[in-house]
Amino acid sequence: MSAHETLPRPRSAAGGGDSPPRAPRGTGFRLFGRFRFGYLSPAVLVVAVLLYLPFLWTVYLSMTRYDGLGSPVFTGLENYTRLLDDPAMLTSIRNTLLWVLGTTVLPVGLGLLVAVLSYDIRGGGWYRLPFLLPYAMSGAGLGLVWGFILQPDGVANKVLGFLGMPGGETAFLNDGPENTLAMIVVWTWQQLGVNMLLFVVGLQSIPRAPIEAARLDGASGWRLFRHVIWPLMRPLTTVVVGLALVASLKTFDIVWVMTQGGPGRTSETLAVTMYRDVFVADEYGYGSAIAVLLTTVTGLSSYAYMRRQTRREDF
Amino acid sequence: MKPTMPSRVTALSAAAVLLALAGCSSGGDSGGDSAGKKTEIKLYNDKGAWSKYFYEMGTLSKREIGLGVKPVGYTDEPSYTAFIKASFRTKVKPDLFTWTTGGRLREIVKQNQVADTSAIWQEAVGSGDLPRSLQDYYTIDGKQYCVPLNTAYWGMFYNKKIFAEHRLKPPTTWAELMRVADTLKSKGQVPFHHTTPTSLFSFVWFGQLLAGTDPDLYERLNTGKASYTDPGVVKVMERWKGLIEGGYFSEPGDKADPADHFKSGKAAMVMSGTWFNTSMTQRGLKQGTDYGFFFVPNVEPSLPKTSLIFESGPLCSLRKAPDPEASTRFLKWWITPKAQETWANSRGDVSGNPKVKAADPELGAITKEAASDRYRLALRYFEAAPAPVLTAVLDGLSGFLVKPGTYMKVLQDIQKANDQYWKTQGSGS
Repeated sequence: MSAHETLPRPRSAAGGGDSPPRAPRGTGFRLFGRFRFGYLSPAVLVVAVLLYLPFLWTVYLSMTRYDGLGSPVFTGLENYTRLLDDPAMLTSIRNTLLWVLGTTVLPVGLGLLVAVLSYDIRGGGWYRLPFLLPYAMSGAGLGLVWGFILQPDGVANKVLGFLGMPGGETAFLNDGPENTLAMIVVWTWQQLGVNMLLFVVGLQSIPRAPIEAARLDGASGWRLFRHVIWPLMRPLTTVVVGLALVASLKTFDIVWVMTQGGPGRTSETLAVTMYRDVFVADEYGYGSAIAVLLTTVTGLSSYAYMRRQTRREDF
Repeated sequence: MKPTMPSRVTALSAAAVLLALAGCSSGGDSGGDSAGKKTEIKLYNDKGAWSKYFYEMGTLSKREIGLGVKPVGYTDEPSYTAFIKASFRTKVKPDLFTWTTGGRLREIVKQNQVADTSAIWQEAVGSGDLPRSLQDYYTIDGKQYCVPLNTAYWGMFYNKKIFAEHRLKPPTTWAELMRVADTLKSKGQVPFHHTTPTSLFSFVWFGQLLAGTDPDLYERLNTGKASYTDPGVVKVMERWKGLIEGGYFSEPGDKADPADHFKSGKAAMVMSGTWFNTSMTQRGLKQGTDYGFFFVPNVEPSLPKTSLIFESGPLCSLRKAPDPEASTRFLKWWITPKAQETWANSRGDVSGNPKVKAADPELGAITKEAASDRYRLALRYFEAAPAPVLTAVLDGLSGFLVKPGTYMKVLQDIQKANDQYWKTQGSGS
């Protein structure tokens, strides 16, 4: 038994020692008091069985060669070294980075722009409505509809041709990385609305006093936004960008429906490559290694981003 | 004694765990009578669009052998394959399931999962319900597995109205086929439908051109005895590239269903298996009046026989099926003339049973013609190629369809996968 376990922890009236003060009992903060672990245990058990155990199994599989039949054969880090040597992986990483960059800038940036421009004006809700409607579509439905619009000689080509604009002959989904860029535009079309809505809620919830004070001091337009409104909206922006970051790293459905990662694997993202290697190529071990890589990258980048954006004590 | 709060919480947690475990342990069930004997079997398949025909067969089988059918149709191939493979390790096992012949069947037979159907084959070949020529595709290490779900010959479907408009006839040589295509092209009509790069069918023209140019090389390629960078394969890719760049095909990437494409007249010809008749029938088109079918002539005219691409999809049962007796009874019944006549004619396709008379005279003529000694059967590339090589080929060819100039790089990439596969099989190219 360690010394740490034998020594009683010093307790103070507030909760004890150097740790942050604890809320006193009966305030509602500790819901259900000492029975809380009992109430939590079924949910914790379900999460552990359905999430953590499969993840540990995936980590194990990533160090094996396995085709879904028979038993996995342990191969150590072979799948991870193969990742570095696979040209399809490089394309997949490039496309994922494009998705991260594109979807954290375009839907978030344009969502903020529309929210700010339409906020506090007469009939602003009506201006925002068309941007919000595409969000009602499912990811698969979005992919199907835009797949037809962007196909060779499809609606997009015909409209561009009719207007005499360049791009009338472009096969948007046939070449990489153009196909990835086209899909990012489609994604922006759908996601802009929900980001805009979140920013409008943010604008509505910020206190009026600092804004009025800044106005009295002569601030207006861009200066008012840059130095007063934007800093006040920072907590919300952190959440919106954080969600966009995680969503972009796991981009799958729209790509799978529109191009299935093709042609010739040119539009695969890490999530698509993972799915393809496991379920199409039956390389469960290699696909699991990609899954572990993707989880690690998503976890680390989210953590790094949140850490940077929030104060240490709030995190 | 009144239970305390913690003990009630513990009891509730335990009940939740037991419920979850009970849910996990309950196997899939199929219909059964009071004596526990099956009255309905679940037929898992990757042909979701064929549910109507499976139900029709179920009505007939219920009447004839007391076993109804509940089809469980998937439309996504990877999900279907993953489910079937997972069923080998779980208690949720299908009574019957569809699969593919060739490397994929061998793969699951080697795992000792598939029920042996040698006795069914022996009896059926003896009675003439199944041809001996078909038996080879279902034989692994001297034993037979599964029975034919469907059989199809590959050829060219052509739009009769477009052909009549330009006074064209079905060609009998490659030169004639190209003359037909040139005429159509000169009139502004796209001659051939090209598969979309993302579909499973990017192999179709590759297989046809190779088998029609050098059928021996086609066989050697699929058994690891030839390389994808062989000059013969390169020549085929160059011919295909020439056709794409020459404007003989519809735009790659067109998402329209080939059947819709064909019906609308966007392309005058579609290369497909005879099961394409089902798609035509579903769209109200009739063979003989709206469309016709011809076998694709050899590219190489000096070959003694015309290479005919052929496929046969198996209907299988597991060694540890929920009720092996019921599954076997159904498989025995499935290949009888009466069952096959209903199955083939409802879909407008050919049957694996030679005794079946096609309701459509043109289809009957195709079956008779295919059985003549003028043709050399070649198993469809999709089944003939080993699964890992096929994946690389489909990836490579989908890229080639939109960038034909990359054909050498595509072949080199495929060859890498080919080398890797055959190295593990103790053979190499």
